[in-house]
Amino acid sequence: MNGISSETDGTIRIGATTRHRETAGSPLLKGGLFVVRSAASQIANATVRNMGTIGGSISFADPGLDYPPALVAADASVEIASIRGRRRISAREFFTDWYTVALEPGEMVVSVYLPGHWLTGHGFYIKHARVSGDYATVSVALCRQEDGAVSVAVGGCGPKPIANSAANAELTASLDDAAIKRASDILRDQSDPLDDVRGTASYRRSLITGLLRRAVRQAEKSVGSES
Amino acid sequence: MGDQIHAVGASIPQLDSHEKVTGTALYVADLVRPGMLHAAIVQSPHAHARILSYDIKKAMELPGVHAIVTGDDLDESDRMGAFIKDEPAFAKGKVRYVGEIVAAVAADSEALARAAARLIDIEYELLPAALDPMEALKPDAPKVHDDSASYVKVFDAGTEGNVCSRTKLSEGDVAAAWNQCDVIVEGTYETQAQAHLSLEPCGALAEVDAQGRVTLWSANQSVFRVQANVCESLGLPMTRLRCQTPRIGAGFGNKMEAHVQPVLVCLALKAKKTVRLILSREEDFETVRARHPFRIRMKTGATSDGKLLAREVELVLDGGAYGDDSPGVLGYALLMNVGPYNIPNVLAHGRVAYTNKMRFGAFRGFGVPQVTFASEQQIDELAKKLGIDPIALRRINIKGRDDKWFCGQEIASNGLEECLNKVEEASDWRAVRAGGHERARGDVRIGYGVATSAHIGGLLASGAIVRVLEDGSVLLNTGAVDIGQGSNTVLTQMCAEALKLPIEKVAIASPDTDGSPYNWGTTASRVTFMAGRSVVKAAAEVEEKLKQQASAMLECSADDLELRAGGRIGVKGAPGMELPFGAISGRAHWAAGGPIIGSHSWVFDQKTVDPKRAIATGLPFQQIGIFSFTAIVVEVEVDLLTGKVRVPRAWSAVDVGRAINPQLVKGQIEGAFVQGLGFALTEELVWDGGKLANPTLMDYKIPTFVELPDDLNTFIVESNEASGPFGAKSVGEIGMNGVAAAISNGIANAVGFYSPRLPITGERVMESLNQSWQATS
Amino acid sequence: MSVELLINGKAFNVDAGIGDTLLSVLREKLDFKSAKRGCNQGVCGACTVSVDGWPMRGCLSLAVGCAGKDIRTLEGLSATRRMQFLQEAFVNFGAFQCGFCTPGMLVAADALLARELNPSHEDVKVAMSGNLCRCTGYLPIVAAVRNAAERIRKEAARG
Repeated sequence: MNGISSETDGTIRIGATTRHRETAGSPLLKGGLFVVRSAASQIANATVRNMGTIGGSISFADPGLDYPPALVAADASVEIASIRGRRRISAREFFTDWYTVALEPGEMVVSVYLPGHWLTGHGFYIKHARVSGDYATVSVALCRQEDGAVSVAVGGCGPKPIANSAANAELTASLDDAAIKRASDILRDQSDPLDDVRGTASYRRSLITGLLRRAVRQAEKSVGSES
Repeated sequence: MGDQIHAVGASIPQLDSHEKVTGTALYVADLVRPGMLHAAIVQSPHAHARILSYDIKKAMELPGVHAIVTGDDLDESDRMGAFIKDEPAFAKGKVRYVGEIVAAVAADSEALARAAARLIDIEYELLPAALDPMEALKPDAPKVHDDSASYVKVFDAGTEGNVCSRTKLSEGDVAAAWNQCDVIVEGTYETQAQAHLSLEPCGALAEVDAQGRVTLWSANQSVFRVQANVCESLGLPMTRLRCQTPRIGAGFGNKMEAHVQPVLVCLALKAKKTVRLILSREEDFETVRARHPFRIRMKTGATSDGKLLAREVELVLDGGAYGDDSPGVLGYALLMNVGPYNIPNVLAHGRVAYTNKMRFGAFRGFGVPQVTFASEQQIDELAKKLGIDPIALRRINIKGRDDKWFCGQEIASNGLEECLNKVEEASDWRAVRAGGHERARGDVRIGYGVATSAHIGGLLASGAIVRVLEDGSVLLNTGAVDIGQGSNTVLTQMCAEALKLPIEKVAIASPDTDGSPYNWGTTASRVTFMAGRSVVKAAAEVEEKLKQQASAMLECSADDLELRAGGRIGVKGAPGMELPFGAISGRAHWAAGGPIIGSHSWVFDQKTVDPKRAIATGLPFQQIGIFSFTAIVVEVEVDLLTGKVRVPRAWSAVDVGRAINPQLVKGQIEGAFVQGLGFALTEELVWDGGKLANPTLMDYKIPTFVELPDDLNTFIVESNEASGPFGAKSVGEIGMNGVAAAISNGIANAVGFYSPRLPITGERVMESLNQSWQATS
Repeated sequence: MSVELLINGKAFNVDAGIGDTLLSVLREKLDFKSAKRGCNQGVCGACTVSVDGWPMRGCLSLAVGCAGKDIRTLEGLSATRRMQFLQEAFVNFGAFQCGFCTPGMLVAADALLARELNPSHEDVKVAMSGNLCRCTGYLPIVAAVRNAAERIRKEAARG
């Protein structure tokens, strides 16, 4: 349950009890999967990263957490175990609602799997928070393969990470301002944020375009370079 | 032994450094006593309700529970309050805010006490609550206090209904002056409730001796205020309570007046055992006090040559459920609202509203950060309208040495011009404002903002006792509480210098109402100046008495004697003829005269109001303090995509009179700056109805290491105040006053709009950005 | 239940409830008072202690879950040369005022210097961002940590 390893088919497996510190420093999480590493490194602060685990974190499913949008963008799947056996569901299906995940009584998370096809390309996690260490007000996770395929997810804007294949298609086809606007419009329409001390729902929605543009610009800068 | 002792001006480390870096310093939560009980509080779930009954039976039956106190243990007539005696030891008859303490339990362990607390049943009759200060001031609003006018007050407060106090100050003829102004700026501003967030939560430990006398240790900023508050609210003679001081884990005003001390002493007296109560962080957020939210209506006018002519300001303070220091904050904010400028026509008035929220009280700056936020933005706006550089406009108007403060108090030393010079030069202001530096970098816009301010050090009473011990070493006792700012060290330095002793020969006693003379409190930036003056005078008396004794021993006149470095009295011109303090003190103890003791006490005595110049109604203090000055320049970055504001560089100069310990002075300027950063950008207590929505560190965010500016520069200006001990004035609060205003002015320079509300969150900046983009599109 | 905790190199047998935090056991049962309770929620860092060489929140660690781990508090770390350099630097640079956050700061700084003996200004800020201070404004703490690092490097170079 502990540690990060590479499977024979290229899939990366993160054990549920792996500390954020280890995830944040793992060289196995490269290419598009760097989005998970980047998210882990921005969780709270160094001391908390020595203690928190990915399994514990995603089971809690606070919408301001950093892993959920990164895992959804990376097409992760979650392995769940109970005395009845094991099953796997996509990260998208795992996060169901505010502080709610698809765990039945008696079940626990044992691993997170990240698909090997994201090992090329680049991944970015952009977090906007009030101060260092705070939960995200809004965050954007973006993976982009060398052939241009893009997967994006937005955090902090609703009960679960926002992702949409139409938005991904827009950004896969083009990274220009018009495409960013169309993609962020789609994501914004799907978003359902709340008002809280970190910001109002309308502020959160308004940040989607700007943060997506920031993520895209980072992706553009990295084209042709190692991530 | 050298001729000179230079303790003053030396950056010696704090005297308690060793215990702090080894973790052996004992704060109130670290104190244990054999057989000690632990306490837990019960808090009100309602903003406003009558208490109908208490059922403590189940709680008392829990094994390990020793005593419970409720409002039934209090006398209706016993109330405390710094200005208005409106506050019981804890809730009696009514609860007035969510979180207010209504009962307390003493048990064998904290867990047991909390479990018992949950078993206490209290029946309430809900009352409509007044949650908004403007609503509370309307005639038909629910009354927080049934008969507020009947409370005892220490000044003409004008208390009536939900008006806790009202104050009005005026000079000149504002109404007529507007017509002579070429440019006028008007605006409404709102500032937020800020939590002190001392890292140490409030707590206390009370021991009851066989006579029923109580010794109380507590996290406090004044043993004397603790004593007065506990005794007044419990109807105890002051001789029955001794207040002592452990190490204090910071207080920025939240520990100046009472917190849990009254309820704890009540509980300890009932249990007849030692009891300790330490608040959780949530309880600390909810029950203690916070900075007053201000609603400010301000108008400033100037003539086209840049001279300020008129100022009108109206304040409404949210005072919360009890008066606490509110009248003082209102009066002081009105007095300081003008800033350090000559404005001949001023009308300043305001009210404090009682509301059904936690009490608001003293917090570093005491109202000045709030009014300065409005005032310094208006000065900046005027400069913009007149086409004059913001610093140049300030220079045209700043008070000089011979000018008087608003309402007439004389200003003595004044280093404001030097403060402005220093920050103007260090920030390269002229080049920047002339367009010499980058204004934009990608999605970020860069701007520079300036603010000036002043603050007093002084107020009320302080004293000092200096005793020469038998061996010639010296014990200093002032009663001033060191809350971490280093007053123990600074006062010791002054005493050592005054008596030409090495620091190691001077010890400073811990504040103790049994033995310390008096110090109103560690507040109002006052300890260096007020207690320091007493230290110097008490030391002078000691020097006199040493000389008297020595003159008998050396058979000469006292006028022929001099104080020599290293603790000696010698005959002038005769280097070999001298006596060490020990010999003199020995004779004093055992032969003639009595032990050598010097003492001094005083109340700050410079009048605030000159009745020939100003009219003052309801001003709660007649003598306030000596003026220190500051100027701040900040560089701000505004992220156009998120609205988030960063402060990468800042320059803060403070005229402190004289830096007794420069490193400690720097610590105050830097610490206040970062606390000001939080006030300006991220900190805000938020209410959900009557309940605090964010009483946790997860949701209430103060600056971390990462928010520290990349480049924070401090400048100590020494104007050498003649009436100050060794020329010193004050520094504790002033570093905070201008931060929010300077940042707001910097944002205006970067993106073109001012900020009427604090904190200046990313969201509020985005709103303004969107509005200005819409306006131009 | 009874649990054996290894603290500052010594074994202690403690009677701890299943929900007792390491912080409460250290402070109330074992008299190690340097770690402080500032928020009990894992945010302020005043409770930071070293567990198996890594800084951790005492308030978020269950005592029973720490059995068999190498727990070091400031009381124990004060005997090490690296911590002494840090303590001297903190004193010389005025890196504390009220001192309440200081034990947690020192433990976090010690853990940083154990791994990185030449931290930049930024490195220190990020590594210690989990420790809050309300008094100093952080600047002298950064200076003190870097100064301690420099002096440790110099001493190591001298051999």
